[in-house]
Amino acid sequence: MKLKQTLSTIAAFIIDLVRKNPVIIILVALFLLFSILYSEQFISPINLTATLRQFVTLMLFATGPSIIMIIGSLDLSFVGIWMLGSTLLWVLMPYLGLVSILVIPLLGVTTGFILGIIHTKGKIPSFILTLSVLVTYWGVTSMLTKGHPNVVRGFSFITARLIPRIPTPFILSIPIIAVAVFIVTKTKFGTYLCAIGSNEEGARLAGIPVDWYKIIAFTVSGAFSGVGSMILFQHLGGSTPVVFNMNDLVRPLVAIILGGTPMVGGSGGPQRTILGVITFSILYRGLYLSPLIPQVIDLVVGIVLIIAIVLGSRSIQLKGVDIK
Amino acid sequence: MKILHKHKQENGSLWHNLYSFSSIMPIATAFLIILIFQIINPAFLSSQGRVTLVYSMSYFLIVACGLTLVIMMGSFDFSVVSVMKLSALICVLYIGRFGYWVIPLSLAISMFFGFINGVLFAKLRIPSFMATLGISVVLDGISLLISRGFLHIMNDQLFRSLSVTFFAGLPTIFYWAIAFWFISTFLALATPFGRRIYAIGGNAKAAALSGINIDRYRIIVFIISGFMSGLAGILYIAQLGGASSEMGEQLMIPLFASVVAGGTALKGGVGGPHRTLIGVVIITWIQAGVLMMGAGRGLQVALMGAIAIVMTLATVDRRDASNRIVK
Repeated sequence: MKLKQTLSTIAAFIIDLVRKNPVIIILVALFLLFSILYSEQFISPINLTATLRQFVTLMLFATGPSIIMIIGSLDLSFVGIWMLGSTLLWVLMPYLGLVSILVIPLLGVTTGFILGIIHTKGKIPSFILTLSVLVTYWGVTSMLTKGHPNVVRGFSFITARLIPRIPTPFILSIPIIAVAVFIVTKTKFGTYLCAIGSNEEGARLAGIPVDWYKIIAFTVSGAFSGVGSMILFQHLGGSTPVVFNMNDLVRPLVAIILGGTPMVGGSGGPQRTILGVITFSILYRGLYLSPLIPQVIDLVVGIVLIIAIVLGSRSIQLKGVDIK
Repeated sequence: MKILHKHKQENGSLWHNLYSFSSIMPIATAFLIILIFQIINPAFLSSQGRVTLVYSMSYFLIVACGLTLVIMMGSFDFSVVSVMKLSALICVLYIGRFGYWVIPLSLAISMFFGFINGVLFAKLRIPSFMATLGISVVLDGISLLISRGFLHIMNDQLFRSLSVTFFAGLPTIFYWAIAFWFISTFLALATPFGRRIYAIGGNAKAAALSGINIDRYRIIVFIISGFMSGLAGILYIAQLGGASSEMGEQLMIPLFASVVAGGTALKGGVGGPHRTLIGVVIITWIQAGVLMMGAGRGLQVALMGAIAIVMTLATVDRRDASNRIVK
């Protein structure tokens, strides 16, 4: 009798979880599909490591922007923070030594704060503002590096293997993700962000200092992008990035939207993005193992983005928000 | 346009003064920039310098006019550069197989993707920025796939003469650009169609309530934007003589900057293609001037990002009550 009750509780919990996060169905389906199609390669330790590496890259890029997506804005500056931060690290390394890695989170926080102020006081739509900042940082990066990748030595401890099969960046990223999830789900700040996202005018009338919280949100997002970039810098090669790759920008966005954070804001956050990132990583690894050439994989990723956006925009239709 | 003018005047004479100030500003800036670069580098307005400037300006102007119509409507089209690239690649890759039919073919494909953008935005209610970003990723994928990452050379001289024949000291692509600039200006300012785009940009809900089929207009404007980008791609490949999938990579922000620099606010409802001409002059001449001074590509890119932010800040009307919520 007791067993039956426990089972039904667990079933109810799973049903509730799936209803709240429909992406789990896709996740399980993809996992089963790829396990059957490429049974040997897909469930192998090597593929597990590769999937985790993919997870780290996407998750650290997507954590900050998924906080911004809750208030219905977009933060695309994360790639810029990573690029310029790594370059500044290379510039400062001869003078400051290992301490200079702190320049990356510092750049992230500063960028986020300035973005927040320009966005709220200047009334510029966030997507074009953050995109312009990203392009500016990219330009400064290529000015400083003169277009050459420059290796920075001394940070290999970030990727040094601690536990076999599990990449160290993954272990390092767990506390970052945990803090992001805690901030969004357990604090007053997170609740206010959801309130601003679902109805900004209502939040203002309820006495929430909307502009102030938006500035903090952008600062927090920049901070997460900065702290994440400290790990990503070594994880993605340990040298200064010189080429801006559209994929770095788009794939985290795909993961956020797949995870179920609606583009108009109001709900979601990093906790959902985790699921989206896992789904995307599995999809990507599965495509990678398939006989498709890389160009086709890019195409498939684009189509997945559109499908995810179409599915994710159902909430816009229900809410009747005026879209631009 | 006249109605808009009148409406602004009623808001107070101060605002009216500012409004005319903001329309003179771009022109004054353009003259100032030309003057500065002429002093720094006397070759700037020589006949060779002039042709270089016209070459870097013409295809840019065509794309910018299409983008202006979209921004005027309050939306955003991120895919213009990708459409342009795809249409150029289709021309260079398939001219051997289809002959000159590639021109209508690539125009049709560009318009088709504009149509998809419009449907995703208007019918499926996806914010236009995200919808066109998704489409541009797909288009870049297709471009990479069909070009296989190589540089392809256009050998057909007749096709190239579309852009590089000289009339009165200037290449034909310049006259194409001016013609299409004139057509889009006419469309925006002198037709009911244009007036409805302004109305949708000013207040989409009010436009819908007054009986404008806004979904249809939104789709048509995205089709026009696709058409202009495709056309620019065709003329650009005729001018350049070769294309790869990496063409036009850093174009999106300069394009956007030139539209807002002309005075078309991102919020929609003001500005228009007639102003974009000045914006394009400012932006491409800054770009060309920076390159002629011998500074690197990096400075140019960084400068464009900064200019885009400043120009957007300058065109935002902060006193407008409907502008309180900006996402």
